[in-house]
Amino acid sequence: MMNSLLKLDQLQTHIGQYHILQGIQFEAIEGEVSVLLGRNGAGKTTTLKTIIGLTPASHGKVMFEGQEITKRKTYDIANLGIGYVPEDQGIFKGLTVEENMKVAIRKETDEVCEKQAYILELFPDLKKFWKKAGGHLSGGQKQMLSMARAFVNDSKLLLIDEPSKGLAPIVVEKVMEAITEMKKKTTIILVEQNFIMASRIGDTYTLIDDGKTVHSGSMAELIGDEELKRKYLGIG
Amino acid sequence: MGQEKYYSLKNVIFLIIIIALIFFPYVADSRTLTILMTQVFIFSILAMSYDILLGYTGIVSFGHAMFFGIGAYTTAILLSMYDNTMMIFLISIIVGMIFTGFVSFLVGLLTLRLKSHFFAMLTLAISGLFLVVAEKWRTVTKGNDGFTFRAPDLFRDRVFFYFFVLVCLVVAFLVLRRFVTSPLGKVLIAVRENEQRTRSLGFRTLHYKVIASIVAGVVASLSGSLYAISLRFVNTSVMSMDITLDALLMTIIGGVGTLVGPIVGSFVIEIAQHYLSGLANDYPIFERWIIFFGMLYILVVIFFPKGIVGTVYVKYLTWKSKKSRPQQPKQSVPLVKDKERLE
Amino acid sequence: MDLFINLFINGLATGMLIFLLASGLTLIFGLMDVLNFAHGGLFVWGAYSGIFAYTWSGSFIVGILGAIVTGFVLGWVTEKLIITPVYGNHVQQILITLGFMLVLSELIKVVFGPNGIPVEVPSYLAGSWEFGEVILIKYRIFIIFIGFVIFGIFQYVLKKTKIGLIVRAGVMDKEMVQVLGINIKRVFLFVFMTGSAMAAFGGMLMAPYSGVIYAEMGMEYAILGFIVVVIGGMGSFSGSLMAAILVGLAGSFMAYYVPYLSLAVNMILMAIVLIFRPQGLFTNAKEG
Ligand SMILES: Nc1ncnc2c1ncn2[C@@H]1O[C@H](COP(=O)(O)OP(=O)(O)OP(=O)(O)O)[C@@H](O)[C@H]1O
Ligand SMILES: [Mg+2]
Repeated sequence: MMNSLLKLDQLQTHIGQYHILQGIQFEAIEGEVSVLLGRNGAGKTTTLKTIIGLTPASHGKVMFEGQEITKRKTYDIANLGIGYVPEDQGIFKGLTVEENMKVAIRKETDEVCEKQAYILELFPDLKKFWKKAGGHLSGGQKQMLSMARAFVNDSKLLLIDEPSKGLAPIVVEKVMEAITEMKKKTTIILVEQNFIMASRIGDTYTLIDDGKTVHSGSMAELIGDEELKRKYLGIG
Repeated sequence: MGQEKYYSLKNVIFLIIIIALIFFPYVADSRTLTILMTQVFIFSILAMSYDILLGYTGIVSFGHAMFFGIGAYTTAILLSMYDNTMMIFLISIIVGMIFTGFVSFLVGLLTLRLKSHFFAMLTLAISGLFLVVAEKWRTVTKGNDGFTFRAPDLFRDRVFFYFFVLVCLVVAFLVLRRFVTSPLGKVLIAVRENEQRTRSLGFRTLHYKVIASIVAGVVASLSGSLYAISLRFVNTSVMSMDITLDALLMTIIGGVGTLVGPIVGSFVIEIAQHYLSGLANDYPIFERWIIFFGMLYILVVIFFPKGIVGTVYVKYLTWKSKKSRPQQPKQSVPLVKDKERLE
Repeated sequence: MDLFINLFINGLATGMLIFLLASGLTLIFGLMDVLNFAHGGLFVWGAYSGIFAYTWSGSFIVGILGAIVTGFVLGWVTEKLIITPVYGNHVQQILITLGFMLVLSELIKVVFGPNGIPVEVPSYLAGSWEFGEVILIKYRIFIIFIGFVIFGIFQYVLKKTKIGLIVRAGVMDKEMVQVLGINIKRVFLFVFMTGSAMAAFGGMLMAPYSGVIYAEMGMEYAILGFIVVVIGGMGSFSGSLMAAILVGLAGSFMAYYVPYLSLAVNMILMAIVLIFRPQGLFTNAKEG
């Protein structure tokens, strides 16, 4: 049952002349939540962007469902069923919530309509502000809208970048509940600085430092490993 | 690149070219060629002044012709109102420069606050207004018909005029080069690279941009004055969009932000224009020589995106770094960043 | 009063023609941020090829279709060959599109000859209705009508259809649209072709209106188009429509009452707008 959905093999990425990722080793198992951890500037965001093709890899491989997708275009990768929730949410500010959802929906099948209804149960705020411009939403609402957009199609994998960033604890709690709920239907790769949150929903972790994978294992192991936490995360 | 030496490759080439240009009028057997080269120099000055805006400050102006036109009209009007002496001519250059300095100061203050597109369009509008004034103020400008005037007698000698313009070009080049390598020029380059950041470092970027606009305007006025003399005639075409476009195209073709580039660009465009239109007499396909001219622009963008000088310079740098470090493993990163412009 | 109405209709018709040209630029310059100086070339090619099809078939409708097809095809060629290498780089856009503009307008002379070509209004649109002193020239009314129809269609497509939504989203955030699985390049190609077809269509309608077509008309109208896009507010269709009407009316009234200013009126309008309301006369903060 341990099906590997996504695998990064010796991944390297350059942005301009900078060598940002210098060897990322990573695997996401179907149905699990894998957490990427690391200090600021470690390369977590860049890893997600490389998966989705926004900053294409210069060396190494990205494998998705056994296929190599390293050189594919972003829209192509997205259409394989990978959703991306960027750090800044990427909401179309001038479009309403409804329109934001519409852009995201690839084909209005019955399934997708059901999924949308289900998502709106999950995020009642979106329903409430259905006609409101994306730019006028609160930070938490933007986060939810962004997750809803990534999730609404038949997504096999969600890449979520720091969903708790800048949100009040009570909102973080709501976002977490939503992710726990989404986990039932899809595989998730989560970047999270908030260790408490990460440890609660993560199944496995991968520690990135200076653009390289330095450790990975099950979340339970990391929770017990005080030294590792102190060394790379500055906690404990 | 470290300390520049007096015998550096750059300076040697510079000297060779100057010597070649000094002998040129005596070697070239036809008057046409001398006149053509004079024209190249005049437009080199104009294009260099444009490069201060485009290449060093990163602003696209569609109104450069107004400064050129002011220079041309000032010289033409003063020479026809007073005597056609050298004195009056020199005074007219000064007056033109002061006037353009003033105008570019005002226009700069008014326009340079705006973001790129809007700045470009506003300069287009203002220079359009100058063009209309030139057209309608017939008592002074004779409108679109224009008027002829007598140039100072010394300039009857085309070779003398050639040297006069050459000296102007060299002086303008040296002054502008001094300008762009000065601390002030460094700030301008910083503005080009990232205006926001430069501002946050405490520079009042508007001031610097206005200064660049004044310098560019004043130098453009000089080229306008010379242009009027070269034709001994002036009409509204000196204020037209075509002049701006010429300056723009010469700068881009030669290579923005290089100062040498605009000179090369002016040479290429003037010569191409001359020969392509000349070919039309012999070969009917060249009747529509402008098509080839248009294709030249397209090819330059595709094959020399940094302009001629820019591209050659990058090649030279690559070659030099290869030569000095032969054992270097192949680098996966380009040596010069795509966006990085030359200095 | 009659004079007023005549000048008004006249200005409105001119404004609508400018709008057709500017609507393409609104897409290309306003939404996609591409400085396309070859736009005027597409306008001329629309006029020439449309008139060619019109004379050849004898049907004005066929002429219009011919112009639109030419616009689409040339739009495709322009985007693929000329624009794709220079997305995001204004300086190179200026150089390459100006070069292409020269090629396009000179090719007109090669293909159709260097002289202007006279054009007549089709018989069913010729003539005028007279109401007392007021003379309504049919072709002008026709142009005004078409202008509003086109405006309505664009408004509908942009606001109410999926493709319109994608275009608007793509302009706000190119990357994010791709992340959502949309091939933005293909969308932009389509937008570009539509904009070019609009320019060609505008050129075709312009031809009987001005009575003669010539290769140089492209650049003149392209500049008017840029002015209108700026006055109206970049990327706003309603803004472009209002600005085009304003420019048309101002031109028509000024030419009658203060002829010596009529040349300058567009420039003055644009300068005033840019100095006092650089976001455009007709945009509110949200849209801009
Ligand atoms: N466009 C870019 N140009 C140059 N450097 C970049 C660019 N994007 C990211 N970097 C650099 O790459 C490194 C990794 O960035 P990344 O955003 O992936 O870090 P991160 O782990 O997500 O950090 P954070 O926790 O702060 O979000 C950083 O040092 C950053 O400065
Ligand atoms: Mg990050």
